Amino acid sequence: MQLENFLLMRHELLLLLLALLVLVFEIFTDDGKIHKIIPWITGLFVLVTFAGFLPQTEGVLFGGMFRITGMQIMMKNILNVGVAIILLQSAVWLKKPENSGKISEYYILLLSTLIGMNFMISSGDFLMFYLGLELATIPMAVLAAFDRYRNNSAEAGIKLILSSALSSGILLFGLSMLYGMTGSIYFDAINANINQSPLMALSLIFFFAGMGFKISLVPFHLWTADVYEGAPVSVTSYLSVVSKGAAVFIFSIILFTVFDKLSGYWINMVYALAILTMTVGNLFAIRQKNMKRFLAFSSIAQAGFILLGILNASEFGMTTIMYFVLVYIFSNLGAFGVVSAISYFTGKENMDDYDSLYKNNPKLSLLLTISLFSLAGIPPFAGFFGKFFLFMSAASQGYYWLVFIAVLNATISLYYYLLPVKAMFINKSETPLPVIKSDVYTRIALILCAVGIFGVGFYSPVYEWIYQLVLQFGI
Amino acid sequence: MDGNMLVTMFLVAFVLVGGALVFSHFIAPKSVNYQKFEPYECGIPTKGVSWLQFNVGYYLFAILFLVFDVETVFIYPWAVVMKEVGLVGYIEILIFFVILVLGLLYAWKKKALTWA
Repeated sequence: MQLENFLLMRHELLLLLLALLVLVFEIFTDDGKIHKIIPWITGLFVLVTFAGFLPQTEGVLFGGMFRITGMQIMMKNILNVGVAIILLQSAVWLKKPENSGKISEYYILLLSTLIGMNFMISSGDFLMFYLGLELATIPMAVLAAFDRYRNNSAEAGIKLILSSALSSGILLFGLSMLYGMTGSIYFDAINANINQSPLMALSLIFFFAGMGFKISLVPFHLWTADVYEGAPVSVTSYLSVVSKGAAVFIFSIILFTVFDKLSGYWINMVYALAILTMTVGNLFAIRQKNMKRFLAFSSIAQAGFILLGILNASEFGMTTIMYFVLVYIFSNLGAFGVVSAISYFTGKENMDDYDSLYKNNPKLSLLLTISLFSLAGIPPFAGFFGKFFLFMSAASQGYYWLVFIAVLNATISLYYYLLPVKAMFINKSETPLPVIKSDVYTRIALILCAVGIFGVGFYSPVYEWIYQLVLQFGI
Repeated sequence: MDGNMLVTMFLVAFVLVGGALVFSHFIAPKSVNYQKFEPYECGIPTKGVSWLQFNVGYYLFAILFLVFDVETVFIYPWAVVMKEVGLVGYIEILIFFVILVLGLLYAWKKKALTWA
């Protein structure tokens, strides 16, 4: 093997270099000066994000364990964009005095999880897939427990690690049965030897349940709200957007390429779970008063919508999933950015505290409004196109009833997405929140989200570009 | 493997495991005494409670030990095939070393090596 072959892993190597750079900084700087790395690391990560878009050759590494194609590069770039926005949003929070001793740890843990997700997306066999999954999960639990002196945060960490351990166990059990029957852990070899036997279906069910935990589909969603509420806001946004996006990507790749002969089984499962996830997520979101819990349940409901794209096991379905995740990153991070700014400057996280927010903070209110409109899928914003393509891909396979239920759910979701908007613009409050002077990082992040919400929706070549890459991959 | 076979195998597994438990419950000789329920401590009677807190420093040392223990596991296979993998393998193991050393330096910086 030649050393230059490793350049195929360019995304992972750049992230690894960045993480090691943070470590070197941490070792050789005095304790009081570590906050100086925040602008450097944020800037370098933006550069890494841009470098991801440079043209790159496709290929296979480690005897087929690692595959890289244009589609997977695009997936990694989508995740990188999300992480860049999250790093910008978390800068001001990291500068707090109580975080002074663990700034570099935040970056190292976050970058490790991102490296894990990248390996997971590029995996060509179940060993690499599992290693990536664990690398993406274990540091995540540490991140969730980052404010360790807050009981909520420690609870979130322990809940995340326990539920992840359980789901990994279930997933591994399914994979071990698959290995026992096909004699291989490589995707191609498994796909060639797969058959319709009940044991094969059982291993598919275990795999499905294990991934259901990671994407927080409904019977497996119980950890989500507590973890999202307890973790720091920037970690919550990372969990709900980037981590979920990566899991959805690899889940659909494996279903489409490895289990394609079993689609008779998993289409039914996806169908049922899509209905359950959308409905339960929406009904619970209506009752939430805490903004973080509210966004957690809304993200469960959004995962249900993503399942509509998985039902169409073709290039079209894959494109709609990737496009929806891209749109969802901008919309959800816009909402989380505003919630995180308000939570940082005033400590308030409840919906009642948002009454009359418009009076003192018109820009933040407007941004939260367009983000929520985009999440709800109201036409001029990108979220509408994301949902529209998902509905179209399900309808093109003839699942009209499912699309009907999804549209009903989109209507329900409109109600609760408008509740914070009503609070900000209509509800009167004696003591509205004071004027918030947000810092330059938060502003850049919020502007990026706004540009994304409008840009991805109006600029149709984005969709075409993703579609071409998926066509080259071939499903 | 068809469905009946699968069901049969599951049934056999349940019957074997459950049967063994139930069977041993009924035929095993029973002796109940105080020593049997003691936590094991080299045969000496236990003093105090066994649910006590211990210094987190032990944990840090255990982690560091684990890191360098696993390191040798990776180095042995490399040493066996060192000639075959050549320069590329050498550079790879050097990168591996550098990352490990950075980890040790980090532990040093964070005062994990001093017993406080």
